[in-house]
Amino acid sequence: MKTIKYSLYFVLSAFVLFAFTACEPKELTEDDIFVQESELDAMLQEENPEGQYTIYELEDFLDRFMTEKGNYASDTCPYRDRSYDATHDLYLYSVDTIPTNGPGIYIRGRITTDDYAGNFYKSMVIQRVVGGKQQNLRISVDLGSSHGLYQMGQEILIRCNGLAVGRYANQPQLCVPSYNNNIYAMNASQKVGWCPGRIQGSIFRRVTKMIGTPDRSKIQYDTLTLATLYTEIKRIPNADATDMAALRKMDGRLVVLKDVHFNGKYDDNGTITNCVVGHPDSVGGANVFAPSTQNIGYPQSRYLQDQGTGTIMCSNSEYAKFAYYYLPGADKTGIANCVNFEGTVTGILGWYLDKASTLASNKLTGTEWSVTPRGIPGFGIPDIQMYFQGDTDSPWVPKEYDPNDK
Amino acid sequence: MLLGLGLTLSALAQTSLRGQVVDAGTGEPIQGAKVLLGNQNIATTTNAAGEFQLLYLDAMDEEVIIEAEGYVGTIELVLLEDNQAVKMEAVKLQQDIAKQTQDEILLNLTEEEMNDDEGRSQAQASASSATVDVFNSTTSFAWSTARYRNRGYNSTAETYYIEGLPFNSAERGQFNYSAMGGLNDASRYKEVLNPMEATSFSFGGLGQATNYMMGASRFAQGWKVGAAGTNRNYKARINATYASGTLSNGWSFIGQLAYRFSPYVDQKGIIGEGIKYYSLGYFFSAEKQWQNGNRLRLITFGAPTERGQNGAVTQEVYDLTGSIYYNPYWGYQNGKVRNSRIVKAYDPTAIAAFDLKIDEQQKMKFAVGYHYSMYSNSALNYFNAPDPRPDYYRNLPSAMWDGQIANPYNETSAAQMYRPDGSPYGYGLFIGQDMNGTYLGAAQTAADGNLVGPSVDINQYNALVNLWQNRDNKTTQIDWESLYAANYANNANDPNASARYFIERRHNDIQEVSAVVNYQNTKFDHLKMTAGLEGRFSQGIHYKTVEDLLGGNQWIDIDAFADRDIKELATNSGFTQEDIKLIRQNETRDGYELNKKDGDRFGYDYRINMGNLKAWFQNEWTFHEVDLYYALQLNFNSMQRTTNMLNGRAWYLTKIADEKMAADATRYYGANAYAQIKAAEAAGTLQAGTTYAGDAHYFLDPAFKLGLTYKINGRNRLKVNALAQTNAPYARDAYISQRVHDRVVENIYRHDQAKSLADFYAASEKVAAADLTYEFNYPIVRGRVTGFFTQTWNGTELNGYYDDEARTFVNQALSGIDKRYMGVEAAVSVKLGTYFTLTGAASVGDYRYTSDAQSVTSAENGMPMTQDQGTQELVFETQDRVLLKGVKLSTGPQANASLKLGFFHPKMWFADITVSYHDWNYLSVAPSRRMQGLYTGTRTDGTAVNGWFGDKNANAIETTDGQLLRVSMDADGNPVYENAVLDENGVPVLKYPYNLMTMQENLAATNPLNRFIIDASVGKLIYLKNRQSVSINLSVTNLTNNTHFKTGGYQQARLPRAVQQGEKDYQNSLITANAWKYPSKYYYAWGANFFLTVTYKF
Repeated sequence: MKTIKYSLYFVLSAFVLFAFTACEPKELTEDDIFVQESELDAMLQEENPEGQYTIYELEDFLDRFMTEKGNYASDTCPYRDRSYDATHDLYLYSVDTIPTNGPGIYIRGRITTDDYAGNFYKSMVIQRVVGGKQQNLRISVDLGSSHGLYQMGQEILIRCNGLAVGRYANQPQLCVPSYNNNIYAMNASQKVGWCPGRIQGSIFRRVTKMIGTPDRSKIQYDTLTLATLYTEIKRIPNADATDMAALRKMDGRLVVLKDVHFNGKYDDNGTITNCVVGHPDSVGGANVFAPSTQNIGYPQSRYLQDQGTGTIMCSNSEYAKFAYYYLPGADKTGIANCVNFEGTVTGILGWYLDKASTLASNKLTGTEWSVTPRGIPGFGIPDIQMYFQGDTDSPWVPKEYDPNDK
Repeated sequence: MLLGLGLTLSALAQTSLRGQVVDAGTGEPIQGAKVLLGNQNIATTTNAAGEFQLLYLDAMDEEVIIEAEGYVGTIELVLLEDNQAVKMEAVKLQQDIAKQTQDEILLNLTEEEMNDDEGRSQAQASASSATVDVFNSTTSFAWSTARYRNRGYNSTAETYYIEGLPFNSAERGQFNYSAMGGLNDASRYKEVLNPMEATSFSFGGLGQATNYMMGASRFAQGWKVGAAGTNRNYKARINATYASGTLSNGWSFIGQLAYRFSPYVDQKGIIGEGIKYYSLGYFFSAEKQWQNGNRLRLITFGAPTERGQNGAVTQEVYDLTGSIYYNPYWGYQNGKVRNSRIVKAYDPTAIAAFDLKIDEQQKMKFAVGYHYSMYSNSALNYFNAPDPRPDYYRNLPSAMWDGQIANPYNETSAAQMYRPDGSPYGYGLFIGQDMNGTYLGAAQTAADGNLVGPSVDINQYNALVNLWQNRDNKTTQIDWESLYAANYANNANDPNASARYFIERRHNDIQEVSAVVNYQNTKFDHLKMTAGLEGRFSQGIHYKTVEDLLGGNQWIDIDAFADRDIKELATNSGFTQEDIKLIRQNETRDGYELNKKDGDRFGYDYRINMGNLKAWFQNEWTFHEVDLYYALQLNFNSMQRTTNMLNGRAWYLTKIADEKMAADATRYYGANAYAQIKAAEAAGTLQAGTTYAGDAHYFLDPAFKLGLTYKINGRNRLKVNALAQTNAPYARDAYISQRVHDRVVENIYRHDQAKSLADFYAASEKVAAADLTYEFNYPIVRGRVTGFFTQTWNGTELNGYYDDEARTFVNQALSGIDKRYMGVEAAVSVKLGTYFTLTGAASVGDYRYTSDAQSVTSAENGMPMTQDQGTQELVFETQDRVLLKGVKLSTGPQANASLKLGFFHPKMWFADITVSYHDWNYLSVAPSRRMQGLYTGTRTDGTAVNGWFGDKNANAIETTDGQLLRVSMDADGNPVYENAVLDENGVPVLKYPYNLMTMQENLAATNPLNRFIIDASVGKLIYLKNRQSVSINLSVTNLTNNTHFKTGGYQQARLPRAVQQGEKDYQNSLITANAWKYPSKYYYAWGANFFLTVTYKF
């Protein structure tokens, strides 16, 4: 009997102690995580000394903090070698640091990009619609698959104090100073120097807040023809600082190009050339979206054409999952059928200029602009929608290059 | 001198001695106590009544040495007279409460070290400790902090039995300590035998053999309740035991409950950071003893346990956080600690054992047992989202060094930085000038104290350093909020999409049925014959379940690695999109539901069936001057994998294997490994839910051991033992990627196809071992010295890691591994007066690889590894030599010494203090960093290595003439290292800082004082009325709070690489000079920690 009694005592005390063991945390809800618009001001008041802060619109932010030369350059902080156009006193690469202390400096915007398909890597574009017009800014972040955390349609608020703004290949972006010392790069000595770099992932997560849950329907797309686009992308036979500042703000714009087709051509070191049939691993002009650059990493260009003679580059990465997919209409026989697939191409407008010599020699034609789709059907966002001879019942079905299918 | 022992003498035809050993507090008999006559060197053990008898003795003054597990030993003096039967009065032994506490700490320690289901755990301390052996009793606890391992053997060499039933895992070879977590009574009584010695319960083996004895009759009648407090992973324990003693009907019973728990979870910078813990152990045993000596024991025990884990991190993280207790596995969720890695273990066991006494000279033991070991641990998984680990290398300040470290010898345009005195930086060789010669400025002292180069943006660097130093929750711990945010955002964008993050639970269960028969015969003079039969069927059960979707709607069961490498798979293999769709699938058969919710199985679901049958016999001969034993064993093993899921990558590899074998039948390529898939395809029965069995593999391994004891006189003896055996590979080392497919390593394939004896043993490890011991035993001083030498050949090992050259996760099978263990261990115990005992122990060894290994490396997702430079054919498996010869084994410190001062006062005070010194503790090297191809540019299979230490942009190999090193091969395919500076093993020496990537570090602290660990304990046993007692014991480990003591560590497999632009090779990465990119990870010994126990017996 005693044994039973003592056993009961033990079990009872075990249960009492069990109640004192560490309890499990409760599940996080959306309300715990996403900041509501109505909470924003109070939160930022609390976050900043004396409650002082400013949320800049993106263009205002660039005007306020991004200078032509950048404040980071000095004798001991040289920018990359080929970035300065002395003729026009323009810098394709720049870095301006943003004050660490003082009132809070914020920008906000909705993410318009997605990196699943691989055309965007450790970068994203945010969009702010002001007066019905898009304002956009690239953000360079050292987070692999960053869009898993910062998804398309998500509005984010970024505290920029201590970060930097600058231009990489003339493309404005939120960044940090970074020294390029890639001795394994092609023409490495021309690329060495300070330039905008990726914001370290932990720091970016630390300075970013998510406003509400993602809402892709609030992303603004500017649907237009190539001709219309070109009226907006001013051709600049003679670059100057004023034009340049305005045009740089076009970078990152989300556009839907109507009535275009791939014409099967690419830019072969300045010469517009027909794509050919070949293995994308070794043939730079292969009739796919992005043959290998042998890891140099520059974007590969395939031309889009409207129903007239207007063209624009469709820019893709060799690391994209669809890089070795045939262009719409292209196949193992060549590019003859490309002209039959017409439709829309959606993407981020970009102006990638990494050689000051292009500016110095006044060789700009406007055709340096490109559009970068975020994916194709089957790979992420289906930004390329084309149809055989305009028949919506005959959509383009992506097909991969097959070395055995000769 | 008879010391008033009250001896009773009677005239008999022979000289004999008998007596009884009892507990001093309770008067209960002690079973299993060892009784040794010091002068005549004759020993026996006490029976259930605590009684012993020794016959045919020589008449003389004799010392009776009595020792029992959990008790303080004693020596009594008796006069043995010719032809008289001497009866001693009851010998009363005092409980050694300090030892009992230490055993509990040890058991807990070893349980906690079972940290990882993938084998990446620090070297385990041995939980067994033998009281009787001076060396073992001194070192087993004192050296456990340093993770000392007997003779340098890994834990698979030690065999564990319970009531004679084998309990080492058939699959992994180790003993599962968590089965007995907290059950200090269940594990109290054990036989521990030194390596290779004669054992009565099994053949034994290379390492120690331990047999736990759980019969209820061993326990004294009464209650025992206890409580303990500690600052280790759990904080408190309560336990209660009731033993009935032997009832009049011959039955005895015992039951124990033990509950260990943490009422709170420690947070930053404290032992047990982020660890929750609770475990409820139970133990019940019933025993029936018949008058004729037969016995039946029925035993069951188990300890459902849930505990958090911690993980090794790099030195940078320890330095930044300022704590050796930093744990990367947890974070705050709604203000509370949440650990992503939670182990759940429960190992319910049932045993029935029957001892049959045939007659006085013949005994048989039968035992059957069943246990189902449930072991699982949780981990974060993610897909198409940033790596959630806070200590991921990109999240650390050192990631900003990448690209800023100069190649010191060939990067002529980027000069290295020096200190003013001309010496290089302590932390690398940062660039000081750019490649165009522009001076970048001076070095900068960063917030973490490092001197960093001028090309590192100091503001960003310091900002990150500050986040780490301040232990920012979002930076230094798992940011649960971000993980939920990703999933909620995902739901908003596409409710049908796969969760970005979730927690999976990896189950590694094993169920076993075992039976043993043991026969002992002492009919013949001088001879004890023992024979045994052990049979065991084990089934390893492996699968994953979704534990928590973290707000996500579902997880879509697609292989992430295959998905990521779609482009490579398609372009390099010519596979169609339909093929690739199949490759991505973890289950290729129709009817498989891809959408997984909480609790669903996914990923893999397979079993390994293992059979084992051992037959052994042993003869022990005892003569006046010489004892001799020899034993032989035959060990039959089988293994077979079955799966409930047919993985798409297995299907893919089947195609490759078929093609390759058709082209070259001399190579293996795993052609027979996918029989299940082929059969299913042929039969058209690719239906989900069906189990498919792979090929079975059978092994037969002999073992032989013998030993000789020469009794120089009663107090001095020499012992020699020797062992030769072969060991079949464990299942965990047999399958190249057992989660995916059925393919075994090539040596098993050779074995399966064997037409010669050499081929039959192609997969087995061969072992030869011997030791020589000198033992002495005097009233004041006793001890032993042992020299040992063990050589193993043809070992196998499997590794898996992310390969930056192939740019995918690879599996690497190593074979032909030879190892040598040699050394000396010694201990001596000296009585200093009445109260003190001084014990010294030392072990100095040399445990190392004595050969290089052969490796076969293949991508888990089936991607080609490289391309043949000549034929341009894709190569799916690379073969190379791993330069392991001379590398030290990372099985704990190889030089150890300690001095222990023990105090025992007859008024039941116990105290001791131990000072231990440990050295020669080596880092575990990554074979991927020691591939021959990395030194030569060419693997042994002839394929080129892209990016090797002597490549034109690295030039990392030291040359005698300062020239660029190129290596040629001789006619046998061996490298000719022209002009290279070679180390003592013939491996080319690498220049700083490249040498940091491959060198094997001695983990011993730089300051010799930090190689010492001091432990102390104090206890008091108070006897109360009515045979009641209270004992209190406080044990403090690492009294001086030495937080600089590394117990283990390992090199990361990845090498720092950069992509060479513009080259058309299949892969074109190069090893960079940033040796700090993937540095080693370390384990530290805890600082000062205590264990306080209070036990009340009534």
